[in-house]
Amino acid sequence: MLGFILRRLLNYSVMLFAATTLAYFLASSFLNPRSNYLQMRPQPPEASIDLSLDLANVNDKVPVVERYFVWLERVVLHWDWGVSPQGEPVNAAVAYRALVSARLVLVATLLAVVIGVSIGVAAAIRQYRMFDRVSNVISVFFLVCPTFVLALLLVLGGIQFNDWVGSRWFYVTGLGEGGFVDYLQHIALPTLTLTLVGYVGYHLTQRSYLLDTINADYVRTARAKGLPKNLAIRRHALRTSLIPTAMGVVWSLTSVITGSVFVETIFAIDGAGKYFIDALTKNDINGSVAIAAMGGFATCAGLLLADVVVALLDPRIRVS
Amino acid sequence: METTVGVQEAGRQADTVVARVPRARLIVRRFLRNKPAVAGLVIFSLLVLLAIFGPFMTQWAYDDLDFTALRQPPGAAHWLGTDVVGADMFALAVHGLGRSLLIGVIASLGITVIAAFVGTAVAYFEGWPEKIGVWLIDMMLVIPTFFMLAIMVKGASGTSGWLWLTLALTLFGWVAYARVLRAVALSLREREYIAAARFMGVPSLTILRRHMIPNLGSILIIHTVLGVVYAVQAETGLSFLGFGITPPDTSLGVLIRAGSGTLLTAPWMFFVPATLLLALCFSMTMVGDGLRDALDPKSASGGRA
Repeated sequence: MLGFILRRLLNYSVMLFAATTLAYFLASSFLNPRSNYLQMRPQPPEASIDLSLDLANVNDKVPVVERYFVWLERVVLHWDWGVSPQGEPVNAAVAYRALVSARLVLVATLLAVVIGVSIGVAAAIRQYRMFDRVSNVISVFFLVCPTFVLALLLVLGGIQFNDWVGSRWFYVTGLGEGGFVDYLQHIALPTLTLTLVGYVGYHLTQRSYLLDTINADYVRTARAKGLPKNLAIRRHALRTSLIPTAMGVVWSLTSVITGSVFVETIFAIDGAGKYFIDALTKNDINGSVAIAAMGGFATCAGLLLADVVVALLDPRIRVS
Repeated sequence: METTVGVQEAGRQADTVVARVPRARLIVRRFLRNKPAVAGLVIFSLLVLLAIFGPFMTQWAYDDLDFTALRQPPGAAHWLGTDVVGADMFALAVHGLGRSLLIGVIASLGITVIAAFVGTAVAYFEGWPEKIGVWLIDMMLVIPTFFMLAIMVKGASGTSGWLWLTLALTLFGWVAYARVLRAVALSLREREYIAAARFMGVPSLTILRRHMIPNLGSILIIHTVLGVVYAVQAETGLSFLGFGITPPDTSLGVLIRAGSGTLLTAPWMFFVPATLLLALCFSMTMVGDGLRDALDPKSASGGRA
């Protein structure tokens, strides 16, 4: 098991390295920090622009490969992700923002898995009945609705609810400064948005995979031996059907991470996603690459977790 | 021996008695029986007609500003109201719808073509080319595609920016589809007709083009339809964040971005483009699902075709 995990870990590390390199070259060729200075009035002298760009290692007069190796050396040897064109270090800016986003994404993903899998199982057992049809229609709506429209609708709904109740239950900007209840009031709607974005995938895949296994011979055998229907499903069908769902966690995680960019922008949460958008707006190559790498790291962590879960669930996989 | 002849006789007689239904008509019939799919097709057709003929239905162009009517609610002069600088909401929405549709359809077609070639090629070439191909595809999916897209289209601006955005959506959108198509194409590569073509010395690219891709036909059609939803969502999302399409040009994403600022004071600025976007995505998803059922020979509607 340990060898299997280590092999996967190595593979994902190389993948993450290659993807981050790709992101660096992409950002270097499409973001233009020099234009920040050219828009200034009065325009600073060219030597001064070059100097500040050199300090951030983003001067377009230096060959991109040369800049890449300087950047790589700093990241690998000193864990220093560089500075923004204005000279603010990326590490310090990203550190606490990453925590904010990680908490948001993690809680939403956990809720999405629990809710999605439960609805999927319940719907599969009641195939073509009322519950199945209604939950299917609702899920298709959340599947189709773009994240930012959903977030804005929830903002509007939260404000309407506050007006209707007469007191402020939900806050729609920031994370608040007060205690735990205040935090919950701020985080409820962003988390709900991401949960709704994430659960749909689990519901639909879990339903179809459980339906595939419910009619399998070994479940019928278990029923024939006298096992009650629910027990037969739980012990024999559910375990097999969880395998593809566990593999799907990663792709749902990607959509939740992407969704967190929108949610943080709309709910004015100072997290990594909002930082990414700000970095792009400011032509900050180092900052945007750092966040892209973080997104990649989260995906790889999800992939690794899925591998472990699948190995534990699937008796056909012998990892030794 | 006699029984075989008998069966053949019966088959021949049955052929003359039972009217043969061409495949195309069969598909159309199965599609039309699916009510949500038909509703989706109707809504989508209406949206396309609106995008094409909408600009001629109103005296306002999308970049005309009516300074006597700033942030007007829907009324007689401006059917769907105006925005904060006095542009007609109907004209804006129609133009934005056309822009989003155009980007969505072109990007989806491009994505399908690239994904079909790469996906089948990776499946067709066994051994180390396949391993490298699969690894590269997975590598490109490690960083969420949206991040790469955002980095790439950040610079796009002006009225020709939409072409650039379409190109970027195509360049990054095909990866996930190629992954799916490879999995489907794996079983195709073992078929006899592929082996036969290979032994006759047909070039690999011709095998891909003539034998592999056409046999994925129904999946490709479904993916092209659902790909429009993906492309439209990506485009509007990027435009919403301020990248991609930027004013003076407009798309549904740009309009929703403007409307999100006046959610409480001028809700029509949000609801008009948001409704159109939802209708667009919904109708395409319904059509895609309907096509999946109609094209899939193993689908549940079996005997009732």
